[in-house]
Amino acid sequence: MPKLDRFRSTLIGVASLATFVIIWQVVTMVANSPFLPTPVQVFEAFIKISTIGDIDGYTLWWHIGFSLYRVLLGFAVAIVTAVPLGILMGVKPVVKSVASPVTEIVRFIPPIAWIPLSIILFSGINRYIFLLWIGIFFPILLDTIAGVKRTSETQVNMAKTFGADNKAIIKKIIFPSALPEIMNGLRVGLGVGWMCIVAAEMMGGEPVGLGRLILKYANLLQIDVVVLGMVVIGLVGLAMNYLILSVERRLFKWRVEIKA
Amino acid sequence: MPPLIIAKGLSKSFFAGKETISVIDNLDLSIDEGRFACIVGPSGCGKTTLLKILCGLEKPTAGSMLIHGQPPDPKKQRFGVIFQEDSLLPWLNLLNNVKLGLELCHIDNAEEIAIKYIDLVGLEGFEKYFPHQISGGMKKRVAIARALAVDPEIILMDEPFADLDAQTRSMMQKELLSIWSKLNKTIAFITHNVDEAVFIGQSVYVLTKRPTKVKATVSIDIDHPRSRLSPPFISYREKILGMLQEEITSL
Ligand SMILES: Nc1ncnc2c1ncn2[C@@H]1O[C@H](COP(=O)(O)OP(=O)(O)OP(=O)(O)O)[C@@H](O)[C@H]1O
Ligand SMILES: [Mg+2]
Repeated sequence: MPKLDRFRSTLIGVASLATFVIIWQVVTMVANSPFLPTPVQVFEAFIKISTIGDIDGYTLWWHIGFSLYRVLLGFAVAIVTAVPLGILMGVKPVVKSVASPVTEIVRFIPPIAWIPLSIILFSGINRYIFLLWIGIFFPILLDTIAGVKRTSETQVNMAKTFGADNKAIIKKIIFPSALPEIMNGLRVGLGVGWMCIVAAEMMGGEPVGLGRLILKYANLLQIDVVVLGMVVIGLVGLAMNYLILSVERRLFKWRVEIKA
Repeated sequence: MPPLIIAKGLSKSFFAGKETISVIDNLDLSIDEGRFACIVGPSGCGKTTLLKILCGLEKPTAGSMLIHGQPPDPKKQRFGVIFQEDSLLPWLNLLNNVKLGLELCHIDNAEEIAIKYIDLVGLEGFEKYFPHQISGGMKKRVAIARALAVDPEIILMDEPFADLDAQTRSMMQKELLSIWSKLNKTIAFITHNVDEAVFIGQSVYVLTKRPTKVKATVSIDIDHPRSRLSPPFISYREKILGMLQEEITSL
């Protein structure tokens, strides 16, 4: 994108956000309800929670940290399970025909429906990991399979003519070919996992985590902190997405340039 | 010495659903060690299929293809194959593309050797470029460097210069000849360009239309470098063109 365009789109973005906040301020001031906090009240809640802490003494940073920790654990488990399975399913039609009847059904069951079962089956941190894994696994799996399918047959044949065995072909040709799609799956998966955090923390007993923060203050009917929690979830999600996108851009420079 | 490559009664069919496509039918051919063999044939006759059988990527449906008396197997023999399509890895720079072949063959000093062969094909200074940053002719040179770097016993080339403009093509032909005369390898060079085959080949194998077999083997008894304007050159070319013409008109 040319420099000027980028500058202009940033400007438009800032203006649009400012407009949104102003409208929010005006509407909530007019409504004047204790259940509809103004942006200023949410900002005050931010100052309070991030410095003094919540009713249990946990600051906002603890809540963010714990939620991130849980999501990243679920994310890690999802990566080490979904990527190898996806590659196997993409490479070996047998594995695909065995696995896909199950995965094709399970992937439509939303993480929230797994809450009762995960309470029965797991305890402690494993509950979070399981629930987040359910959410993150399938985007990664599907994109990995799609990525493997895009591998060029000529490139595989080329490797074979140099005497490459299956392991080398997967490592040197198939995995790098699929990597752009896999990264896309990681980005989407992490986003889905992050969106599941409230659901996951609904079932835990621990008093810390962004989802927990929202629930605690919803019970207290202090909606300013609830909205603060929502805004923070959105902002952290945006930051993670941006982070992976910039890694993708750096890693796949060749791909971006080919498309351009 | 017996020929290095011997095909006897070689047949290949593909099964697509209920249909059977017979691509190669009872083909006999032999290539001596160190020869520069050109294979010409009408488009779609099965040249690439023959090349894939030569390097073990496809198995014959009937008959045999033997190299040193053994069925071709890249895990046991060293091949250098240059594919008809682009086969460079877009995510690796030129140096790493050439190194890849060496690494897959478990050859030490990959970097040093790769640099040497990149220089040999005239791409010195382009090591850090990516495939999308170079021209089609340069990509073919990289593929050639990658194939030569592993010190293959047999080089197989599938219409390597087909998408090049006439000038680059003629230059590449001369370079290939000079590389071949230095390295003294057995080369099977597929082309549908008769002029090219007569210019570089010691033997030209003319294939029939599909299902293909060898229609004639023409030994080109002119010393390199050849002049395209010399009477023997022209008469070889006309002779082979005539054979191909028969195949195409009888389609
Ligand atoms: N894997 C396959 N399955 C089915 N048919 C195939 C397969 N590979 C090749 N064929 C068929 O075999 C025939 C010969 O193909 P091949 O690629 O060997 O021809 P070619 O002489 O190299 O053609 P060209 O001059 O266009 O490169 C074609 O009709 C093609 O459709
Ligand atoms: Mg072909």
